[in-house]
Amino acid sequence: MTDRKTTSAMTGLRIGRRGLLLGATSLAASRLGMPYIGNAAAAEPIKIGMIWAKTGSIVDQAEYLAQGGMLALEQRNNTLLGRPAEIVWLDEPNPQGAQQSAERLVGEQKVVGMVGGALSSFALAISSVAKKAKIPYVAANAATGDLTGKSCNKYTFRLQPPVDVHARILAPYCASIGKKWYLLTASYAFGQDIKRAFTDYITANGGTVVGADEVPVGTPDYSSFILKIRAAKPDVVIGGIAASDLTTFLKQWNELGMKGKIPFAEISVGNTDLWGVGPEAADGLYTITWWYKNPNNSPEEQAMAAAYEKKYNRPAADKAWMGWLGMKSLLDSIEMAKSTEPGAIVQALEGWKYRRGDLDIGYRDFDHQMTSRLLVAGIHPKITDKWDYFDVKAELPKTPEDLAKAFGSAGDSACKMDTL
Amino acid sequence: MLDMILSQAVNGLVLGFLYVLIAIGLSIIFGMLGIVNFAHGAFFAVGAYLAYALSREFGWWAALAAPLLTGIIGVIVEMTLIRHLYGKEPLLGLILTFALALLAEAVLRLVFGGAPVPFAAPKFLAGFVEYGPVLITKYRMFVLVTTALVLVAFWAFLAYTPYGRIIRAGSRDPEMVGLLGINLPIVFSGVFGMGCLLAGLGGLLAAPLWTITPSMAAGAIMPAFVIVTIGGLGSFLGAVVAGLLVGITTAMTIQFQPEWSGAAMYILMAAILLIRPRGLFGERWERFE
Repeated sequence: MTDRKTTSAMTGLRIGRRGLLLGATSLAASRLGMPYIGNAAAAEPIKIGMIWAKTGSIVDQAEYLAQGGMLALEQRNNTLLGRPAEIVWLDEPNPQGAQQSAERLVGEQKVVGMVGGALSSFALAISSVAKKAKIPYVAANAATGDLTGKSCNKYTFRLQPPVDVHARILAPYCASIGKKWYLLTASYAFGQDIKRAFTDYITANGGTVVGADEVPVGTPDYSSFILKIRAAKPDVVIGGIAASDLTTFLKQWNELGMKGKIPFAEISVGNTDLWGVGPEAADGLYTITWWYKNPNNSPEEQAMAAAYEKKYNRPAADKAWMGWLGMKSLLDSIEMAKSTEPGAIVQALEGWKYRRGDLDIGYRDFDHQMTSRLLVAGIHPKITDKWDYFDVKAELPKTPEDLAKAFGSAGDSACKMDTL
Repeated sequence: MLDMILSQAVNGLVLGFLYVLIAIGLSIIFGMLGIVNFAHGAFFAVGAYLAYALSREFGWWAALAAPLLTGIIGVIVEMTLIRHLYGKEPLLGLILTFALALLAEAVLRLVFGGAPVPFAAPKFLAGFVEYGPVLITKYRMFVLVTTALVLVAFWAFLAYTPYGRIIRAGSRDPEMVGLLGINLPIVFSGVFGMGCLLAGLGGLLAAPLWTITPSMAAGAIMPAFVIVTIGGLGSFLGAVVAGLLVGITTAMTIQFQPEWSGAAMYILMAAILLIRPRGLFGERWERFE
């Protein structure tokens, strides 16, 4: 026993000595290596995924959305949590392409969050990946109600007010013009939501829909649709077509002599759509999310607009603001969370607030919809500045109570929010 | 309803003429050079952008030079890239021209930005005329007349001039034409340039109607391919008839089933190919079969 103890002790001593030597060597090596490993971790950039169209019918708006997003990171000196940060921008040629890009960003690039989805169908596709991969996603442009309604999920946040909110603000203006409406809407989620929302409104208010056409995306010639509208003699035409499709429609609307004859109205229109139409053909009544000349813009927004104009030599379109604010909310939340852990970022996004005028805007916890005001705008009777087309009539809803009412309560929402 | 059908039919014919103009260049390039020019839509977009740029710098009339410049660009592209593909695997031509289309879109985006640029028809072509239920804008009448004149002139050139005969002979038997001492490479450069000129003219005429964006080529190339396929590969008359058919079919679908209007021309193509696999006026050419 004593021998064994001695042996054991001796063995232990021997092992201990060897272990000590090995340990000391390892420790020395690790100490020497630590600064290298530590620096490597610090130097490894935090990656943010950005999915905006580089091809297709929405590419003109997507360019501004992307530039706004990149500006948001540049304003932080491309740094997050004291580490370098970078944006990885992939294309969304169609919903399937958007989904594949989201999967690549998560699987190959290991992004900590995503911003994108220029069309509603793209955003829904990205949102399903965000839910499955448990990665925070900010949909900055899509307006379909489903995104924060029946298809909502814990990882998806949406900046643009949904179609229903836009409709509640614009529809009364249209009804005051006349109650015979013709609907010309795109044949995908955004257009179908507009068709439903405006039909519901006008039928509930004693009006009629005298015609309704669903238009394929990328239609190059609207003259046959316009001939149908002309024959139907509506009081107002409600549009639900996006980006270059809207630009084409307005050019041909003017060409066929319809400008000024029958009022045209559409929600959620971008500056770029009108810039592409040109002063001769620009026409309509719109809701827009932001306008670079709005005196109520926050100091941060004014700084962003100035930085954008300096960098790109043109005013910041509403889409540039949306890309910027969507990315800013994600970047702010990563800093607030002090972590790149998805759950922590999601919780930070739920608590994120941004001051605009007399309102604190942010994402609601029960459906992750941002609540903010909209501008109702017509077109200047005479356009003298090639960038300044809008004649802003109102910024609505006026009070926080009206705002909450316009966006609806948790009880009204179709969203059944899941957990982290 | 009859009024509306007549109105839509006339409108569809006008649209069809614009499609024919875009498709005819694609058809002659394939018919004579054997190249499936996937970049044809890109030349259409280049024509529209050149029209915009020239009119902005020098006034509207300067835009009329856009098709010619597009044709010159086409000749340069043929001399530097396309001519290396004659007689080789058709897939190579497809890949090269597809790459060219992507490159052209990227260059346009780089130079002009991604946002659409405004371009309007001249003031003297504003307004429209009405004949009973039929409404035609002055600009669309201008497009119709211009396209018809260009097509007749082009057909007469191919049918009745010595150069036209050389081009037609060269497309059937280039070796024999070469043995006769005719410089075929120059003829082929001219044919490719002419096809691009027609695409550029299509771009110029469409610019006041369509949205000018770097991705506008997609709106032109697919109808062009469908028309060439329906009409019969390489057939001049086939492209004209098919273009008008596509225009009228699209307009009628909008009248009765608007949500199907985007797919209507593809359904028409499938139906015609089921009955005539070579298209309406397609011929059997040993060179391509």
